[in-house]
Amino acid sequence: MPNSPIAPVSYIQPLVTLRRPRRLAAEGEVLVGVGQAVASGDALARSSLGAGHRMLDAARALGLSPEKAQAAIPREVGEQVEEGDIIAGQRRAGARQLRAPAGGVIAAISEGQVLLQVTDERSFLPARVPGMVVNVHPGYGATIEFVGAWVQAVWGNRQLGDGFLHVVGEGPEQLLTADQVDMSLRGAILVAGRCEQPQSLELAAEVPVRGLILGSMATQLGPVAAALPYPLVLTEGFGSAPMNGDAFRLFSNHNGDAATVNAQKIDAVTGDRPEVFIPVKDAGSPPQPLPPQTFRIGHAVRVLTGPQKGGLGEIRNISLSPLPLPSGLRAAAAEIVLEDGSQILAPLVNLEILG
Amino acid sequence: MSEAVQHGQSLVAVDVGSVNTRAHFFDVVEGRYRFLATGEAPSTGSAPAFDINLAVLEALNRLQEFVGRTLVSNQGLHISPENEGGVGANAVCAAFSAGQPVKLVTVGLLERVSLDSVNKLATSNYCQIVGSFNLNDRRKPELIVDSICQTLPDIILMAGGTNRGASRSVVRLANYLALALKLIPEGNRPQVLFAGNETLAEELDQLLGALTRVHHVPNIRPSLDQENLAPAQARLRELAFEVQATRLNGLRELKELAEGQLQPAAAAMGRMMRFLSTVVDPPKGVLGIDLGAGHTTVAAAFGGEQQLRVFSDLGMGGGLAGMLAETHLSQIMRWIPYDLSEDAVLDYLHNKPLFQQTLPTTLEELAIEQAAARQVMRLAIGKSLRMLPSDAIYPLPGTVPWFDRVLVSGSTVSRAPRLEQSLLMILDALQPVGIATIILDQNNLTPALGAAAGLDPLLAVQIIESNAFMNLGTVISPVGRARGGPLLRIQMVRNGQKEPVVDVHEGGLRTIALPQGQVADLYVQPLQNVNIGLGPGRGGWVRRVVGGVFGLIIDARGRPVQVPAGFNQRREALLAWQEALRM
Repeated sequence: MPNSPIAPVSYIQPLVTLRRPRRLAAEGEVLVGVGQAVASGDALARSSLGAGHRMLDAARALGLSPEKAQAAIPREVGEQVEEGDIIAGQRRAGARQLRAPAGGVIAAISEGQVLLQVTDERSFLPARVPGMVVNVHPGYGATIEFVGAWVQAVWGNRQLGDGFLHVVGEGPEQLLTADQVDMSLRGAILVAGRCEQPQSLELAAEVPVRGLILGSMATQLGPVAAALPYPLVLTEGFGSAPMNGDAFRLFSNHNGDAATVNAQKIDAVTGDRPEVFIPVKDAGSPPQPLPPQTFRIGHAVRVLTGPQKGGLGEIRNISLSPLPLPSGLRAAAAEIVLEDGSQILAPLVNLEILG
Repeated sequence: MSEAVQHGQSLVAVDVGSVNTRAHFFDVVEGRYRFLATGEAPSTGSAPAFDINLAVLEALNRLQEFVGRTLVSNQGLHISPENEGGVGANAVCAAFSAGQPVKLVTVGLLERVSLDSVNKLATSNYCQIVGSFNLNDRRKPELIVDSICQTLPDIILMAGGTNRGASRSVVRLANYLALALKLIPEGNRPQVLFAGNETLAEELDQLLGALTRVHHVPNIRPSLDQENLAPAQARLRELAFEVQATRLNGLRELKELAEGQLQPAAAAMGRMMRFLSTVVDPPKGVLGIDLGAGHTTVAAAFGGEQQLRVFSDLGMGGGLAGMLAETHLSQIMRWIPYDLSEDAVLDYLHNKPLFQQTLPTTLEELAIEQAAARQVMRLAIGKSLRMLPSDAIYPLPGTVPWFDRVLVSGSTVSRAPRLEQSLLMILDALQPVGIATIILDQNNLTPALGAAAGLDPLLAVQIIESNAFMNLGTVISPVGRARGGPLLRIQMVRNGQKEPVVDVHEGGLRTIALPQGQVADLYVQPLQNVNIGLGPGRGGWVRRVVGGVFGLIIDARGRPVQVPAGFNQRREALLAWQEALRM
């Protein structure tokens, strides 16, 4: 008998243990050890691939073939040189020489060409999640364990920040307006239902706030949001849907608590999603998130698209045989009773389980 | 008759897409291959399952319910040449398009020669070009080296120099690669696929071989006016698979399940078009488009020569973001017959990539998706025009050439609630010229069939001729400047009987009844200086036109199709076109 499909999940967890491996794309140097507490912005590892280089052509400078020039380079990879040091050629007066145009480290030599590393702007791997290092992946990174509340969002502007949660207004539909943003919110992570004005976002940057958590945002604000210096996440998506009730209640319960907003980009393939962490001290070892599951009657679900987008409800019935939708399409669907008591039919692919 | 058919081969073909996974069953009935059923499940390559084979298993489970035979059990998939009716199948194959594209840096000597070819090679697979350089690159060499390190490609594709041609310049570019490879930690270095001057193999091995694996394939530009992509494409497929298998859980197992018969879906589609083109009179060609969630594939073939392009940034799921990045909203709004605000349309199109598996639930949402599908296909075909042969027939400059058959695959088009919606999406997006038969891959079989063709080419040919694919009709599209009055006169001759003459006026769409499967000859006479593919103002017999769902379709809207700007007129035009096709 066929099963219902494996359901996508959005986690809105009041208390959870997360183990998050973080790895560099290429081997580098790990900067943390097991048992070490880390903040979201702390570097776990660094890679030398972000460094800047200068290419020095010894063959051309000395007027030699690449093979002969190679032999005329009395330097080794890893050697430190100062500005003006001889890189290739003989020391005697009048001899053709290649000198270092700046201080740096010899990074590579090949076919009479020397690559001098002149800047040390290494790329760092931030933890992105606050917690404790529980495992080190030599050369690549570490696994962080986080204990606390965790909310997954659906869109983020790729920034990262920490601050204290501040819920704006009364409910999950609250529109964030410019007149609600003032200097008293300096250092806060604002929580609001929706945003329609670019001024609200820009003013928050001037305060500055440390983050913004919205249910939804007008699509036209996308370019402004992408350029903000603080992290912004949307729990529902673009448009004017209010924040889902579970997420809003969780943020309200933690009003004033320290939180981290990791506004990384959603990636369906890797499973990366923007998210909010609210550490809870002395919480023991709460369970880890549930593994993937199929849709079942009684599951709490969220509607992802359509007129009821963002609505929360419970599955009352599932039909794996395709049913007609108002659009004319046919799909396996579920009967959902929404929080307001109304009943809708939604395709299974338009639902996700609330974990 | 092929050996496979003589033995009554049944076949399971699996197709793993980024949103849907399908398992198709084919068997021999009365001496011909038939498509019998499809089991389908949402794909599981990404979060939360991260294993493509969960969906494969589910699709197979559903398939065995439909076909009433045991295909899978605890022992796995029952595939054996000895299997007989009721149990398992005799053969299996698979195609896949799920997963992230492979990151490539492309290197060539000259931008318009070897780099152009190597980029064409890269875009014939699920790849993303993250960096490119050539001899005339204006950047300082160190910036080229740094950019290779920072983008950290999976594979470096390099070409340049005809055989016994340029060598010093190629070695100079290779030296940049050597320096970059030395900076990248050993375990993370990209492999190099060299498809340039074959006489340099030893020298490049000396320079790069100690740093990474260097693969040599025949020169993709053996001479300036010759291009030979096929061997490099085959090797790139192998290398890309190795990269994809490290990122897409279950891909290696899928290859085992498919007993090695696993193809990227795009390559499978290309193979299908190549086969199909061999039964079409040159210089007319065939065109295939697969509109996926993450990618759009355009495959064209002329006389057995195939051109393939995969757009990893264009699609109906995650690929919508790529479409929006190069589209003015008006190019989408013009296809929507509802009075929707631009904000509502933008909201929908920006949310869809966040939940790419979702379906439109209302008529308005459906109209937005279908409008977006037109624009995605339009962009893809527009960007593919350069790869099409210049000696094809172009009734109007700047349009697609004359394709005898156009095959479209992908759920947004093939699963539209009404067939006139499917046909209109295809006509509006591709705007074919000449006389073309429009084939809808209603069961999304093309990738799987392309993979199956590796086992038995006859299977692909017989299935495509069967009713598993839907012939929507043959469309005649006169192009050129008209002065009002009738544009074309069409005389249909069916079963030796002349039908009443039909005069077609400029503008709009109309159909002429020709029941599905019936064959007729047409005499088409332009009444003005318009071109139906036979030359300006020239008419003639069009033999053996096969009727489709819509019979014969005359698209007299001109090229490009003009949609009125004002909402009311636009709505009127769009609804009139729909109405003209209403059955």
